[in-house]
Amino acid sequence: MKKIFLGWLLVTTISVSPFTACKNKKADTNTNTTTTTTDTAGTTAPVVINSDDQLNTGLKDATKDYPGVTATANNGEVTLNGTIKRDRLTNLMQSVQSLHPKKVNNNLTIEP
Amino acid sequence: MTLQEKYAELINAAKSSGVQNLQVREQNNVLYIDGEASSGAVKDNLWNIYNKIDPDYRAADLVLNINVSAASGTKAKVTTQESNLNIRKGPGTDQPIVGKAAHNEEVTVLNQTNDHWWLIKTAKGEEGYAYAQYLSPE
Repeated sequence: MKKIFLGWLLVTTISVSPFTACKNKKADTNTNTTTTTTDTAGTTAPVVINSDDQLNTGLKDATKDYPGVTATANNGEVTLNGTIKRDRLTNLMQSVQSLHPKKVNNNLTIEP
Repeated sequence: MTLQEKYAELINAAKSSGVQNLQVREQNNVLYIDGEASSGAVKDNLWNIYNKIDPDYRAADLVLNINVSAASGTKAKVTTQESNLNIRKGPGTDQPIVGKAAHNEEVTVLNQTNDHWWLIKTAKGEEGYAYAQYLSPE
């Protein structure tokens, strides 16, 4: 029974996929020619994550005035360690999150 | 609760305060909100909401990237903690310092070279690149 099902799955996948590919292509062309108004909250384009080299260069600039903070990038993830005063945390986070990281892990000890 | 639900107040505030090119995207369990605000006040308000929903930014589930757009010739205030703002020959802290702008001084934005470094000119005529984080367009 399993074998029959798998065989069926294989056949349908093969026979259906070229059709869907074709269908998608057609749909794409249609969208390109007919879409005139743009969605202000676009959700389609994938998020661009900067490389660790680009992130580290940006982190050097961003943390220059925060002597107690160390920032490292690993596979796009930025990790913050050290200590910071609470009233400066938002400014640092604004700089770091604008560097196009995958995410920001905040391990900082926050002082009042 | 999805991330868009968790940060709904922030997303709605971005929409209602006229953030341009607003993009709200979710990828690998992280929410990315990008856009351009018309003033530093709009950006600060969004960050206040972020900090309210996720105190001290510990959750690592949102990357908020709101830039403030400033047309050429816009005046901006130097918002350093208290020290002078370095003006550099090129966009980067490895570039030589060619001038300084005082805390609270008003400077002119000549262009927004990138998200992080802007070309500015002081009242004294010193011209160079400054870190945009310390400039608040007026």
